Amino acid sequence: MADLTVARLGLTFRTPVVLASGPAGFGAELGEGLGWASVGALTTKTVTDAPRCGNPQPRLLEATGGAINAIGLENPGIDRFLEEILADVLALPTRRIISLAASTPEGLAALIERLDDVEGVDLIEINLSCPNVEGGVIGRSPEAVRRFIGAACGERATPILAKLAGDAGDTVALCEAALHAGAAGLVLINTVRAMRIDRRTGVPFLHRAYGGLSGPAILPIALARVYEARRAFPDALIVGTGGITDLDSLLEMEMAGADLVGIGLGIMIDPGLPERLAGELATWLEARGMDSVEEVVGCAHRGGIGVSGQAARC
Amino acid sequence: MKVRQASRMRATQSGSLFSWSGAALVARESASGYARVRLAVDRPLPSPAAGQYVLIRSADGPALPRAFSPICVEEGEIDLLIKVSGVLREGLARWPIGSRLEVRGPYGAPYADRISLDRAYLLVGGGCGVAPLLAFARAHRGLVAGAVLGFRPTGVERLVPEFPLVIEEVSGVTATAEARRVWQEGQGLIACGPEDMLRAIAVDHAGRPDVYVSLETRIGCGIGACLACSVPTPQGNRRVCRDGPLFALEELPWLI
Repeated sequence: MADLTVARLGLTFRTPVVLASGPAGFGAELGEGLGWASVGALTTKTVTDAPRCGNPQPRLLEATGGAINAIGLENPGIDRFLEEILADVLALPTRRIISLAASTPEGLAALIERLDDVEGVDLIEINLSCPNVEGGVIGRSPEAVRRFIGAACGERATPILAKLAGDAGDTVALCEAALHAGAAGLVLINTVRAMRIDRRTGVPFLHRAYGGLSGPAILPIALARVYEARRAFPDALIVGTGGITDLDSLLEMEMAGADLVGIGLGIMIDPGLPERLAGELATWLEARGMDSVEEVVGCAHRGGIGVSGQAARC
Repeated sequence: MKVRQASRMRATQSGSLFSWSGAALVARESASGYARVRLAVDRPLPSPAAGQYVLIRSADGPALPRAFSPICVEEGEIDLLIKVSGVLREGLARWPIGSRLEVRGPYGAPYADRISLDRAYLLVGGGCGVAPLLAFARAHRGLVAGAVLGFRPTGVERLVPEFPLVIEEVSGVTATAEARRVWQEGQGLIACGPEDMLRAIAVDHAGRPDVYVSLETRIGCGIGACLACSVPTPQGNRRVCRDGPLFALEELPWLI
């Protein structure tokens, strides 16, 4: 059996499949039927200081090759999260990534302090790129990324991941700012700002006009961002997210350089996807005589995969 | 910090709730922008209670599945009433018999779990919102005081032979107006249909006990995780996919 484990930052992930922040809720909603043995880590919904009720309906639109969501960071706030939800997150049979967002660096530092002495939080994701709320895409400039990630990191032991947009600013410059400020890794990319207009009325469907596009339509964008980030930062942990709905897209994301691969819309459409992806990935590796998924990660930067007896190609 | 003991993870979210089952389009009758459609599932699906829904998708359709409340599921066949609008539903009305689809579910709270069972209800439906009310009438005959099921275009009558219909194009009367006329003191009311219709029902029946509305909000995951279908209530946001789709009128003051 090919080895699907990924070891990074002193943590071993059972598989490279990560549930991206949002569609999987806080994990417990998915129950025991999910196939947790196939999940390398769960990322929680983004938690903010105060509770947020999110955007009004509609919150979900069809789009060619995917969907546009405008959930609007609905979450119970840090107090209720700590009191009522965190215990269930920590009990999940997988690695736990807590996603946080704040509108100021000071607010973020205060928020993250609340998790300081909690055992069992493996990673903290700082969401700098939500397109569904006013001012949500904080990480447009390297300076802003530096200030927020710097405030989040401090002397903290829990590794910090910076979640960045795929459609705002120079990706390499933003990643560099995050890593220089102390981030241990990068989550690339968030949903892409998008909209649709109701042809019957001539006005946008969504209250804020914009939402975030996810699904296969954004896979090529996400691949390019992950590829350029991996080329610039060979040693950074990269969680590649955006348009992963099947084995082909997962493989491309790994080949572009993602250590771990986040699924968002994919889990919303098909809760059986993690189990299927892990099984198909193992079969794919074995069919090519590969012992470990690590042989695939970043191979696009090394001239391709080495298939025994054949020319290397991706 | 100390965190409280974890609650036991729900074991009920399993089987058909988590995996898609293949299905074939086996029968269809269309009229006036609506269609009555039957799908035969490859493996047994737990029978949905009235008000519950299934998610359906097609490899030829959009990425997102759609929620449908079946009229019934009998002998492995799902009986649906759909409005022919949107890519998947247009496909269901057009694709050849034998076309392949996928189904998962059922999801949502049965209507009978959300209502008082000590009175009879006037069922008020509009468009494909009629479907769960037909399911309710089949399953809970003793709880039904009457049914006002409305469509705008004529011709739909042959798709829904179960009840006399209120056809606006023929009578000039809407289901809402007819419901206003026939509702009697002491009856409850269950409504399902477009939001404009539900708003009119909410205005007409505000303050009355046991008035319930079933929302057709777009559903994402179906299992209560993604919050795509979240709506505000005085007790905080509720998920249509899991806490609903049926809500007491007083839970949705924004309808008025």
